[in-house]
Amino acid sequence: MNDVVLEAVNLSKRYGDDLVLDGVTLQVQRGQTVCVMGPSGAGKTSFLRCLNHLEKPTSGAVFIDGELLGYEHRGDHLVELPKREIARQRREVGMVFQSFNLFTHMSVLQNVMEAPVGVLGLDRKQARSRAEELLETVGMAHKAHAMPEQLSGGQQQRVAIARALAMRPKVMLFDEPTSALDPELVSEVLETMRRLSDLGMTMIVVTHEIGFAREVAARAVFMDAGRIVEDGTVEDVFRGAANARVRDFLGKVL
Amino acid sequence: MRPSDPSALAEDDPVPSPTSEPARHGRMVELAGLPIRQRGGHRREIIAVAVLAVLALAVWSVVSNEALQWDIVGRYMLDIRILNGVWVTIGLTAASMAVGLVLAVIVALMRLSGNWALRQAALLFVWFFRSTPVLVLLIITFNLSLFYPTLTIGIPGGPTLISGETHTLISPFMAAVLAFALNEAAYSAEILRSSITAVSTGQWEAGTALGMTRARIYRRVVLPQALRIAIPPLGNDTINMLKGTSLVAFIAVFDLMYTAQSIYQLTYEVVPLLVVVTLWYIVLVTVLSAVQSLLERRLRGRSRKLGNAARVVAGGKPA
Repeated sequence: MNDVVLEAVNLSKRYGDDLVLDGVTLQVQRGQTVCVMGPSGAGKTSFLRCLNHLEKPTSGAVFIDGELLGYEHRGDHLVELPKREIARQRREVGMVFQSFNLFTHMSVLQNVMEAPVGVLGLDRKQARSRAEELLETVGMAHKAHAMPEQLSGGQQQRVAIARALAMRPKVMLFDEPTSALDPELVSEVLETMRRLSDLGMTMIVVTHEIGFAREVAARAVFMDAGRIVEDGTVEDVFRGAANARVRDFLGKVL
Repeated sequence: MRPSDPSALAEDDPVPSPTSEPARHGRMVELAGLPIRQRGGHRREIIAVAVLAVLALAVWSVVSNEALQWDIVGRYMLDIRILNGVWVTIGLTAASMAVGLVLAVIVALMRLSGNWALRQAALLFVWFFRSTPVLVLLIITFNLSLFYPTLTIGIPGGPTLISGETHTLISPFMAAVLAFALNEAAYSAEILRSSITAVSTGQWEAGTALGMTRARIYRRVVLPQALRIAIPPLGNDTINMLKGTSLVAFIAVFDLMYTAQSIYQLTYEVVPLLVVVTLWYIVLVTVLSAVQSLLERRLRGRSRKLGNAARVVAGGKPA
C-alpha cells in the first residue's frame, strides 16, 4: 500500500550565503516512524521546521495529505496563503520542541485544553475529558493541575506531547525531544513516543538516540550538509554505513 | 589520584611537610568543631540605635513644630472640599491610566508589527509624547480650541456624528485626562514592548505550531505573561501619575492640590493645608503600593492558586 501522508519535494533553505537545506525530498507513509539523524548543522531542525511552515523554504514544497502547505497555486507561481489559512493547515501537524515550550502561566490541563477549545472550538467539557484521556496516555494524569515549573523536564515533555496530540494531528514532528533532558529522564519520554508509534501515529523524529531509532523506527534518514545522504531501514543505515560520513557520525555517537 | 588532591600532594611531595600528617588532621578536626559567631560584635545594634534616635528627633521636630498647626490640619483632613479634591485626583489618575494603557497596548503592538509604516508611526508617537513636558501638553490640550476651534466626529464623506465648538466639548477634566493619557501611553508602550519581547520565542512557536493565530497567541499566551513582567514598572508609573496630576492646578481643575491652594489663598493657612495635602498623597500612594504588591503576589502565586482552584472545581482536595 502506498499511503503517503507527508511529502517534501526538493526543499531548499538559504540564509544569506548559507545553504541550510539543499533539495531535500522525502515521502512518509501513514503510520510510519522516521528518524532523522546526522551531525549538528546538517539541516535536520530546519527541515523539520519547514514541515509545518514554522520556517519558509526558499524553494520546494511540502504536501500534507496531498494539500500544498503554506502556499496557493496561481497560474505560473505560488503565493503564500493568508496567515489564518496557514494556521488552519498547521492543526494537521503536531510539533514537540527540544525545550518543551509549555505555556508557563497555564496548568498542565489548561495547556492541553487551550488549542482544542480556542482553535478547534470544542466545548470545554469535551476538551477536558479528551485532555484527561491524553494525559492518561502519557502518564501525566496525576499532575493535571500542576504548573509547568513544578514538573521535571521529562514530565514537561510528556505534557507537551499530549498537548500536540490534542489537535488530532496527522503527523507528529519531534525536534530533538530528549536533548534538553537529564539522562535519567530520557527513557520516560522515549517510552511515551514508542507507545505513540505503536498506536500508529505517523512520526518524524530528529534524534541522536540510536537505541530508540533501532527499536522503534522502521526507517531512518541520514542528513549531512543539507542533503539526505542515506535513506532506508534503520539497519540499512546503521549496519551498512556505506557512507563515510555516516560511519564517522556513528563512531562519535555510539 | 589527581594531583589537585591535597592528600596526594602530601604523599608525593619530595620535600617533607613541616607538620606531620596526623597533627595536621587533628588541627582540622579542632577547627571544624568551633562555633561560628557574627563578625563585628555589636556594631549592628549600635548603628540601629543611632539611626532610630535621629529618626525620632526628626519626627519630633515635625510633630512639635507650632507652625504646622495640627489642630487646623485635623479640621481640614476630612473637609468636604478636600475630600472632593481627593476624589478628583483619584478619578483623574484612574481615567488617565485606563486610557493611557489602552493606547499603550496599541502602540506597543504597532512597534512590534511586521509592517514598517506601523512601526514608524508608533516610534513617532513615543518620540513626540516623551519629548513634550506634561505641563506643556496639559496647557495645549486645555487650549485645544486655539488650535482647532471646532471638533467634528463623523465618517469622512458621510454623516456627521458629533460636531461643536472645541471648548464646549472638552472640559478641563477631559483635557487633563487627554494630556496625562497621551504622556503615559508613550511610557507604558515602552514598558509593554520590552515585557512582550521578554516572553520567550518558544511560547510563540508552541502557539504557532498548535495552529493558533497571531492575535490568539497574543491574547492567550504572550500578553498574560508579559503583564506579569510589566506590573512593577506600571505600578511605578501609576504612583508617579497620581502625584503628577497636581499639575492640573494650572488649568483650574479642583483636584486635591488646587483645592488646598484655593483655600489657603483665602485663609492664609498655608502650612497646615500643605500638611493636609502631603498626608493625603501619602495615604493614596500607600494604598496604591499595597495594591501593586498584592497584584504582584497574585500573579506570581497564580501557579498554585489556580491549580488548587481547578482541583476544587473538579471535586478533589486542594493540595
